[in-house]
Amino acid sequence: MREMIDIIVDSKTYKAQNGSLLIDLLIREKIKVPYFCYHESLGADGNCRMCMVEIEGQKRPQIACDTLIKPNMQVRSNSENICKVRTDILELELINHPVDCPTCDQAGECSLQDFYMDYGLHNTKITIQEKVKHAKHVDLGSNVMLDQERCVLCARCTRFTDKITHTHELGIIGRGDEAKVSTMPGRKLDNPYAMNVVDLCPVGALTSKDFRFHQRVWFLQTSNSVCHGCAKGCNIYIDHNKMKYQDDVIYRFRPRRNDAVNGFFICDEGRLSYKDLQENRQESILLYEEETQENKALQELKNLIENYKEKITLIVDANLFTDEIEALVAFAKSISATLYSPLEIYKDENFKDDMLKSANRAANYKTIENLNINTTLPTKNALVINFNHPLDFEADVQINFTTHKRGKNRLTFPIAAFSENAGHLTNEDSIMQECQKAVFKNNPAPTIVEWLQKVRS
Amino acid sequence: MSQKTRESSITSDRIKVIPRYGSSLKDKLYLPAIYEGVKVTFKHLFTNLNDSNAIDTLEYPEEQPTDITSRYRGLHRLTHRADDSIACVACFMCATACPSNCIFIEATQREDGHDEKMPKSFFIDTLECIFCGYCVEACPCDAIRMDTGIFSLTGNKREDFVLNKEQLLANKGAFGEEVSCARN
Repeated sequence: MREMIDIIVDSKTYKAQNGSLLIDLLIREKIKVPYFCYHESLGADGNCRMCMVEIEGQKRPQIACDTLIKPNMQVRSNSENICKVRTDILELELINHPVDCPTCDQAGECSLQDFYMDYGLHNTKITIQEKVKHAKHVDLGSNVMLDQERCVLCARCTRFTDKITHTHELGIIGRGDEAKVSTMPGRKLDNPYAMNVVDLCPVGALTSKDFRFHQRVWFLQTSNSVCHGCAKGCNIYIDHNKMKYQDDVIYRFRPRRNDAVNGFFICDEGRLSYKDLQENRQESILLYEEETQENKALQELKNLIENYKEKITLIVDANLFTDEIEALVAFAKSISATLYSPLEIYKDENFKDDMLKSANRAANYKTIENLNINTTLPTKNALVINFNHPLDFEADVQINFTTHKRGKNRLTFPIAAFSENAGHLTNEDSIMQECQKAVFKNNPAPTIVEWLQKVRS
Repeated sequence: MSQKTRESSITSDRIKVIPRYGSSLKDKLYLPAIYEGVKVTFKHLFTNLNDSNAIDTLEYPEEQPTDITSRYRGLHRLTHRADDSIACVACFMCATACPSNCIFIEATQREDGHDEKMPKSFFIDTLECIFCGYCVEACPCDAIRMDTGIFSLTGNKREDFVLNKEQLLANKGAFGEEVSCARN
């Protein structure tokens, strides 16, 4: 650990590590500094020149992203001179920018727009009418669309493929105003983390083909959640919106920074898992494959529990929230049922990699283990009550509490998916994390805890 | 608190104190004011009896208004480009600006080489619309206008008042300028 020293920024004193990057301090202390190319996960590149600050004793403005903090440093981040420098650099960026914000998906979360409102608002000094033309809407592969005209050449995407995924698909070719981002000849962007470049891109050059044109970002509401794709438990934002007269719909998952778990990124499979969450959902209560009233189905369930006393097997999905699993353990005790959660089905060695993907594709299997729930396959089943476990079991009677539509059973109850419910998860590294309730459906399915209360009453 | 202490207690110079009227004897009697009002009414009555052609009313619907100007906010229309394709790029600015949230757009990829994006569907619920004209102000492409001069929309059921993209494109401007000024 390097020593902590005092540094003065805009005549206020801050504590910082000797030799750390100045821009990290500015970001941490929420001092306004514009930047395109710097990213905490990718380090300094120093090509966009937006993060200029004045340092006492230096003749010219310096870039904060490549300046190391030294003792007795005095920094000015918002003097008149610096604001003018930033305006001028922004004007350079905008010379060939197509300014097609109306059709650009990034509008609303675009750094170029934000910085223009903060530092630009200038009358351009450029009198050239024709802007340099490049390719628009190039399909790079892996659901990523490239617009070379909107690019500010910050090289975040190329550095991502170089430093993070080590796949080196992207590069900047050409010089001057002919410079553009492109894939290497004959190659496509193809790696399991490719869509992170869409989040990394500060402007609308890289957009997601999956999210493109579906919704303007300022309509979206954001909730904190945790991906249920595997046991890693990557932190995500759920972006959803309830349009007038319509139902609440999830439009995308975005990675949420958590240095202890996933850092800045998530895998593409997890990012696109929001689709499965919304498709083919079980919405009604079924008795012998026919829709039925809630109290009739609950009466049937109570009768079955009464008839099969001591011969009931409860199956628990290892993706449920800890709160739900604990409620089910208590419920199993009260009806003297045996509790199983077969974990073998979740194992997928092909999915595993050395970044974020785990071979254990159950978000909360750690809780199943912590609560000492039997993880083997149940034998000799009379009455099976399955709480969203992906397997079907041989039994005299099977009752399903399920989020998604599945095979024929005596009784089927719809339950809320994780996005429609709040709770906790414990990931494979034993870190407990919270999921907020994101989606508020017009006709919400009850959660497992709500169903258990109904069964008991 | 009396009027006087309230005024003296206000220290901020941003607050404007409005003097109250109506405390004089003439105001409290009401009769002089009623007399003033009735005088105006009867003046109009006798003028109109003398010359019924000068009455400021229309024999609507036989007689149509002639004083609708280009600034009049009539029924909406979607403008065209020079090649007759739709000018709208589905940027959702109108839907964002709309105070009554009566514009429903679904965007899609555009394939005819103009822009990347166009509306797949575009609905305006004119029953919810308050005809404020914010959508026209917000549009960066001059794609939506209210210059049709149409001030009356009739229908037999509620659904008739929800205008779709084709109906909005079919509405013609009443004051020339058929093509979008910003996208052509």
